[in-house]
Amino acid sequence: MTIKKQGLSWIAWLSLGLMLTWLILPLLPLALWSISHRWYFPDILPSEYSLHAWKYVFSDTAGVMTALGQTTLIALGTTALAVLIGVPAGRALGLYHFKGKALVELLILAPTIVPGIAVVLGIHVVFLKLGLANSLFGVMIVHLIPALPYMVLVMAGVFANYNPAIEAQARSLGANPLQAFWYVTLPAILPGLLVGCFFTFLVSWSQYILTLVIGGGRVATLPLLLFNFATSGRNDITGAIGILYILPGVIVLVLAARHLSGRNSAAGSLRQI
Amino acid sequence: MMRLLKTAGRKTVVAAMASLLAVIAPLNATAAEDFSNKNWDEIVAAAKGGTVNWFMWGGADNINQYVSAWVGNELSARYDITLNRVGINDTAEAVNLVLGEKQAGVDDTGAVDLIWINGGNFRTMKQGGLVFCGYVDKLPNNALINWQDASIANDFGLAVEGCEVPWNRTQFAFAYDAARTPKPPRSITELIDWVKANPGEFTYPAASDFNGSVFIRHVFYHAAGGPEKLLGDFDQATFDAVAPKAWAILNDMKPHLWRAGNTYPTSITALQQLFSNREVALYFNYDPAIFGINVENGIFPKSTRSYGLKDGTIGNTNYVAIPYNSPNKAAAMVLANFLTSFDAQYEKAKPDVWGAAPAIDAAKLSADQRSRFEALPRNPAVVSSQELAKKALPELHPDWIKAIEKGWQENVAE
Repeated sequence: MTIKKQGLSWIAWLSLGLMLTWLILPLLPLALWSISHRWYFPDILPSEYSLHAWKYVFSDTAGVMTALGQTTLIALGTTALAVLIGVPAGRALGLYHFKGKALVELLILAPTIVPGIAVVLGIHVVFLKLGLANSLFGVMIVHLIPALPYMVLVMAGVFANYNPAIEAQARSLGANPLQAFWYVTLPAILPGLLVGCFFTFLVSWSQYILTLVIGGGRVATLPLLLFNFATSGRNDITGAIGILYILPGVIVLVLAARHLSGRNSAAGSLRQI
Repeated sequence: MMRLLKTAGRKTVVAAMASLLAVIAPLNATAAEDFSNKNWDEIVAAAKGGTVNWFMWGGADNINQYVSAWVGNELSARYDITLNRVGINDTAEAVNLVLGEKQAGVDDTGAVDLIWINGGNFRTMKQGGLVFCGYVDKLPNNALINWQDASIANDFGLAVEGCEVPWNRTQFAFAYDAARTPKPPRSITELIDWVKANPGEFTYPAASDFNGSVFIRHVFYHAAGGPEKLLGDFDQATFDAVAPKAWAILNDMKPHLWRAGNTYPTSITALQQLFSNREVALYFNYDPAIFGINVENGIFPKSTRSYGLKDGTIGNTNYVAIPYNSPNKAAAMVLANFLTSFDAQYEKAKPDVWGAAPAIDAAKLSADQRSRFEALPRNPAVVSSQELAKKALPELHPDWIKAIEKGWQENVAE
């Protein structure tokens, strides 16, 4: 028994090591680029170093810090809206069978199939007419288009393996609907909900063209600044903004990791997605 | 986590609603003003307290810093105008925004107040009725601009007609590393031989790239024996006579190019990377100031030098334009006027700021201003703009450019 356990943990350590290598190794050149000044092929290390990129990133004129705040606010806002819409929608798709369900599922998937750049100008016209363009709120709404499918599909998977009878049990034991949701439903779906939130957050976090067009220049997010420098070959500034760009994802992952351990019964249902 | 998300969401919605109102309110206040009967002082007064959303390519930190810090501070100190620089990858993104607004009927509350623009994007705006015109002669600094110069009065062969204000002049030049390539080719004829003698050391971006396209035009001019026959409106017969010669030159070069011509870099950035990693020996750009910028920020070696061609190189002007639906036209006009002032053009010409060639005419400046421009040091990597200007070739009409780009794709790339 003990030998078996040690064997397992050896494999676990190896895979953990590999995962960390895959996650961290690609970031090393990024970090090195951010402090390099001259780095030509085939040199393994830069021939000159400089903190210029970091000075620029933290300067007032670059607008990187403001963009970091706005990107976070928009991603959190989009996630909150996605929870409000995605949890009931996922419950309906996971628990009930109704006419035209396949069509609804296809429509929900559609935004992940159609690239944003193909529809963004049409969406822009619609948003202008609705008065949603050029604002933070409009950008959150438009981010829902690519982000919501992930939330809905994750929640549909969670609810497919969820037995609503336990809510009825809670109610029969005297819980009001809110209490039943808070003490019974929520703990059961929490790991899946966190995965959905995580997807939504990251999808919103990485939008470029939708933010640019619907934000109309009033809303500056990190991808907007990052792509400016990435497409013009400024590896030093791209590296510095890139490091800031991945930080929130890592922080959210670390915060959520405790809930993703798989100890909860509902987490098992995730494997079926 | 759940609670956190919910609270954040509520706050966000409130904040978003507030910012939505903040955006809409001032727009309505200044919408649809008529400036045709106003004099300059009235325009400056109307611009006070306004904001200009200036959409411009955002890929160079020094240009960003010049615009956000220097121009922004001066604009707020001198005119009480706030400058919001919006960095974009491609000017077409801003043009598409205005186009979308026009389709939606947003005719006086657009998001864009000023665009850094020229060439095809200007053509799209002018022909689509997306650009605000007729204010240029109201700007006091318009007196410093030489509209007699055809390369200023025409943007890629399309008459400017008071629809945009010149900001910089640029002229195509080649760059090389003097430590590696002591004798670079100085004409298209020399380049053809040089490419054959140095296989794999040269390539150019595909015609879809702005800079790749202008390189192909130099070969086209060479094949035509000069640009004279190609000026003016597009002429199919002339094109058919010249094009086969140009394609033959480029197809002859092809097997000796980088990767044996099987592929071309898709952007000037890719060529920049190839040159900095010494995969190719030559680089070129429509704006020679970029050579100095790239040496300063470490992308190019310090021994980088640049030059024009013996037969001349193509020059152009880039401009700023105000969209027809800008809600802050007065402030945008004040900014456009300030950009063409001696102070702003001089600051921009400093090699440690940008090194861009001025759009204003030296002959129209005072003797003191002229001597200050002449006394500016030059980055050794950047060929002198006066030297280049001695042999400047005109740019073609956009229809010609389109035909050449399409022809290259069909006859050389495939």
